[in-house]
Amino acid sequence: MANSKKPGGLREMLESMYSVIALLFILVACVELCDAAAAVDVYRLIQYDMSGSPFGSRFAALNHHAASLHFPPGVDLSRTVLIIPLRELNITFVREYINQKNPLGGLLVLLPEVLSFKTGGNKQVHEKEKMKNLLAELERLLVHSNIPYPVYFAFENDEIDTVLADIKKNDLMGQPATATTGGYKFVIPTTEPKKVASPTMTNIQGWLSGLKTDGDANQLPTIAIVASYDTFGAAPALSVGSNSNGSGIVALLEIARLFSLLYSNPKTRGRYNLLFGLTSGGPYNYNGTQKWLRSFDQRLRESIDYAICLNSIGSWDNELWIHVSKPPENAYIKQIFEGLSNVAEELDLKVGLKHKKINISNPRVAWEHEQFSRLRVTAATLSELSVTPELLESTGGLFDTRQYVNETAIVRGVKLVAESLARHIYGHQGKNIQIFADESSLAVNPAYIRSWLDVLSQTPRVAPFLSKDDPFVMALKKELAGHVDEVNVQHETLEGIFTFYDSTSARLNIYQVASVTFDLLLLLVLGSYLIVLFSFLVITTRGLDDLISLFRRPPSRKLKTA
Amino acid sequence: MTMFHFFNCAILTFGPHAIYYSATPLSEYDTLGTSVKAALVYLGTALVKVSENDGFDPYQELLKAVIGFIDVAGLYFALTQLTHRNISQNHKFQAVGLGWAFADSVLHRLAPLWVGARGLEFTWDFILQGLEANANLVLSISLAALGSLMWLRKNKPKTLIPIIYACAGIVATMPSITSYLRRGLGWHFPKVVGFELFTSLSMAFISWQLFSACQRPSS
Repeated sequence: MANSKKPGGLREMLESMYSVIALLFILVACVELCDAAAAVDVYRLIQYDMSGSPFGSRFAALNHHAASLHFPPGVDLSRTVLIIPLRELNITFVREYINQKNPLGGLLVLLPEVLSFKTGGNKQVHEKEKMKNLLAELERLLVHSNIPYPVYFAFENDEIDTVLADIKKNDLMGQPATATTGGYKFVIPTTEPKKVASPTMTNIQGWLSGLKTDGDANQLPTIAIVASYDTFGAAPALSVGSNSNGSGIVALLEIARLFSLLYSNPKTRGRYNLLFGLTSGGPYNYNGTQKWLRSFDQRLRESIDYAICLNSIGSWDNELWIHVSKPPENAYIKQIFEGLSNVAEELDLKVGLKHKKINISNPRVAWEHEQFSRLRVTAATLSELSVTPELLESTGGLFDTRQYVNETAIVRGVKLVAESLARHIYGHQGKNIQIFADESSLAVNPAYIRSWLDVLSQTPRVAPFLSKDDPFVMALKKELAGHVDEVNVQHETLEGIFTFYDSTSARLNIYQVASVTFDLLLLLVLGSYLIVLFSFLVITTRGLDDLISLFRRPPSRKLKTA
Repeated sequence: MTMFHFFNCAILTFGPHAIYYSATPLSEYDTLGTSVKAALVYLGTALVKVSENDGFDPYQELLKAVIGFIDVAGLYFALTQLTHRNISQNHKFQAVGLGWAFADSVLHRLAPLWVGARGLEFTWDFILQGLEANANLVLSISLAALGSLMWLRKNKPKTLIPIIYACAGIVATMPSITSYLRRGLGWHFPKVVGFELFTSLSMAFISWQLFSACQRPSS
């Protein structure tokens, strides 16, 4: 054989190595570690306290038998995990169950695979509207309830579908029937969820300086463009918020890129400074924006002409809304609105104006521009939402995935904002000049928008779970730094009425277990087998008399002594 | 509950060995030493088999058959070379076969049983493994019987010799046959175990007949 050609010493060493390796292989082959029937990634429902009241799912660890919705009526579910696929979810049943505080071991909701940002890809969603509404309702219910058992979300795949089919079959038969289908046990071995200590909000600001000629003694006026980048949803590990507010972030980055091109040449640099703000703490009454504005120098704040906040501009068809808090008759508001309407007309879309007064005593801040207005800065929010969202709504939930965002809508939104800004900066109001025309060097770049949207749609961004040096936040900062003159990062603590708890994702182990009756039955069978074997061997080798004598010995001794 | 399952499978796998020892007259003749020595020889052959695995041999099945014959060689060693106390032929082969099968079960089945059967997940594998251990016990004893017939008994009827050697050959190559069935033909584990049980019982019957046939002239 080939090995014999090698030198002697080397061959011996190789042989001993081979024997050790082979021994290890034998041992490994003997010790076939076959653990769970399936292991699935699961994502926990958010757990938070608001003003001391607990909300969300209060537990994380799970170790119970599984049942489906076809469970036999009257069965005690306090030590059972209900596994419900979204398509069979009956929202009224769940709502009643939670409201009546019925005991349950745990709840696992199976989401369709298309919604997964890891495996769903760009497949089309069937019955988009229906699924969106169902998910929105479910999310609203779960986020605002106090649930004393673990609630998890998982994506359907082949493994878990077979498990579910098996569970359903068992439940329909009334009880875990045969020995081998003694049932399934769901085990999530995690620790008790702990409070997130001092969650940080990171605000990123970018400054693009305008052209200051020697004659200008005062500071140039500033225009601010702001978007909040963090999300909140029922499953924080899945809250990617493609539309709320991924679309806003992407639009802001693209506008920054376009204006950095314009401002790079002193001949085309406008006489306005541009302030870009990527704020955090959006879902929590725009806490981050408030802290950011409060950190401003008084002069800077006064130099801001107006601010445009971008919020959810990714899935609209023909109409956008401008939300303001100052009355529409206000001269500045009129100016902003007219500027945007003129461009809108040219782009063949509509903008409407919505006015919502601020109530200073009410801590609720529904739109980002309200934080500016509270500090007497003119601001407006551009959004596709016509109705003011409630607290913790439209903040990037379960249904807010890549498939629900249309990049063409974002492109049009960017054009709208950029053109109107440019006309204001360069004094072309009312004139029909297209600065960011298609096919020009200043055209809006759909590929840029698409690539950033894809990245955002795969990054969950719930602020308490983003650390100070989170790589995504650093990436945003780096990207903005590429377009502007100066970037500043501000870290603030998310204090106030919200407290968050960790443990947002885990690994679920599904075990197929046999019932106790099976084990007892097996013991009985084995016991009788061994007894039969024993008797057979005694009879064949020593004779039947010996077997009988085994049982008769004690009495015969007694007879002898007596 | 899962320790329960481990206990069940353990008594299925190792119970018959203990029962065989206690039920038959083996215990009266104090053949424990013989069994232990046979077990040690088995471990020795196992290590030899390991170091034989010099790798890149394309004729895997042939290699495995060679390994099977190493088994036979080990048994020969145990039967003939080891000094025993004065035990009759009858009991020597039984003791050697018992020790052999016990060592085989412990080496190949104890570790997977300890690691796997105690887990939450239920599979039929360990019960099938136990049945396999039973079949293995029967096979080892018949192989030892045939071995003792071949090497320890001097006066054998001429006509039976080829049959003896043929049966011994079949039993010796049983491991490679089962691995071929499992990997080559893709039989499932339960089928393979059923086959093993059937062949072990039939081989035991045949070797019993041969043994008693060889016994007749001397008695």
